[in-house]
Amino acid sequence: MIDVTASEWLKVRTVRSTWYLLLSVVGVLALGTLISYLMTAEWDRSTPDVQAAFASADPSVVVMPFAQFAFGVLGALVATSEYGNGMIRTVLVAAPRRLVLLVAKVVVVGVGALALGTAVSFAAYAIGKVVTGDRPAPISGDPFSEALPALFANGLAALVIALVGLGFGVLLRSTAGALVTLCVLMFVVPVVAVLLPAPWNNRVVSVTPLYLGPQFSGQLTGQLTPAQALAVMIAYLVVALGAGALVLVRRDA
Amino acid sequence: MIEVRELTKRYGAVRAVDGLSFEVKPGYVAGFLGPNGAGKSTTMRAVLGLDAPTSGEALVNGRRYAGIKRPMFEVGALLDANAVHGGRSAVNHLRCLARSNGIGLKRVVEVLEQVGLAGAAKRRVSALSLGMKQRLGVAAALLGDPGVLLFDEPVNGLDPEGIRWIRGLMRGLAAEGRTVLVSSHLMSEMALTADRIIVVGRGRLILESSMRDLADRFKRDVLVRTPDVAGLRSVLENAGASVSVDDGALVVRSLEAADIADLAARHGIAVHELTPRSATLEDAYLELTEDSVEFRTAEVAR
Repeated sequence: MIDVTASEWLKVRTVRSTWYLLLSVVGVLALGTLISYLMTAEWDRSTPDVQAAFASADPSVVVMPFAQFAFGVLGALVATSEYGNGMIRTVLVAAPRRLVLLVAKVVVVGVGALALGTAVSFAAYAIGKVVTGDRPAPISGDPFSEALPALFANGLAALVIALVGLGFGVLLRSTAGALVTLCVLMFVVPVVAVLLPAPWNNRVVSVTPLYLGPQFSGQLTGQLTPAQALAVMIAYLVVALGAGALVLVRRDA
Repeated sequence: MIEVRELTKRYGAVRAVDGLSFEVKPGYVAGFLGPNGAGKSTTMRAVLGLDAPTSGEALVNGRRYAGIKRPMFEVGALLDANAVHGGRSAVNHLRCLARSNGIGLKRVVEVLEQVGLAGAAKRRVSALSLGMKQRLGVAAALLGDPGVLLFDEPVNGLDPEGIRWIRGLMRGLAAEGRTVLVSSHLMSEMALTADRIIVVGRGRLILESSMRDLADRFKRDVLVRTPDVAGLRSVLENAGASVSVDDGALVVRSLEAADIADLAARHGIAVHELTPRSATLEDAYLELTEDSVEFRTAEVAR
């Protein structure tokens, strides 16, 4: 188990796609910084009544959905990059206990996404604070003590999305298939759901992955309680990874 | 030791492997021979736990492969040299595989040298030629110094030097007392490498035999050159042989070379040449697998 996990960790680090994905997250952090800076500059030029109507210049709004999707891509690639070329057969000859292999991938992807997702979340918050300086409430985000639960929830959501990506990858065995499914779930469903009659529009949106973190931390209220949001996150993991595990064990490689 | 017992693998309505049984013991190279699509790769995949048999079983050292904790120390396999992630360097590819069995970098470097890839260790796998990828696959198979080795069509894509290398390697591994199973669809290749052969066609066992027995079994006739063609012919025919004349020489069936020589001597007839002829192994193989190939071609043409 430890050996297979160490091997998976080595595998993730020795392909370039991992580093490109992390680089893209850094790029989006830079973009978020720029947007935050421009918003703050605009705020400085505005009259007080306009200033009061500003949203927060917190880069997380831009950075987190992208970063979470990037971790979902990483999770999917950890599985599909081995199916596209047949590497999975070479891997399964070296590590034939399939559930052990899946658990090793879950550990590597999960720990990586949780740690890096939380780090990105904290970095985005810190950047927002540096850019907005000592300006007052609407433009500057929540104080650190109030923002803390949301920052950890962002990391948790990154973990869930990364593992759902991994589950889709094992299930579908195709990079394109896994990424399209993940994209639809994260970005298309919330947009289409708005067209549904109330209250189904909000109900559907509230259970899509990007809205679970803020509901879990209590930042977003009105639909799911934090406990319900956590339960939906766990349901995603059970369904995606459970289906993936079933296919991995049952189907010929 | 590899044991395949009553192995059947169906894909939908197609029986890729159909009640196949054979054994491979340590100490010799076993050639696994059959036309394309005869079920060789499927059988090897079943042995390695990649494909679950529909019925029957395939065991390595008496156990099912899928349950082995660190299989690299027991079994090394090269299935498809292209079944690798092209983005890693050769050394990193081997490190990843080695790490899953607790094998360290030192051994990785050793096998890279053993297969002659030390100079290409840092190159990305996708930049390697097929021949180099075959060597990389062999290196992966050797990582755990296993007692059982399976190679699926290892000479595909190799240049003549590489083919000679892999023949020597397989014979060397068998001579060290390891179990070696090598598949091929080329009899000529197996004739140079294998000590025993297992011939399959359409998923069924056609023949399991030593190479020498196979050559004996397909012994054909004796070619005799003599200045007295007519005289020797009547002598031999009187002795019960069937004789025909081909290009001034006698082609004799159902008499051994020694008997022909004795008969000729007794009748004072000079013999200039006396050559027992057997079908080439290639012919023997084609004769053995003819039915299975014909069937498939007819089916496709329909």
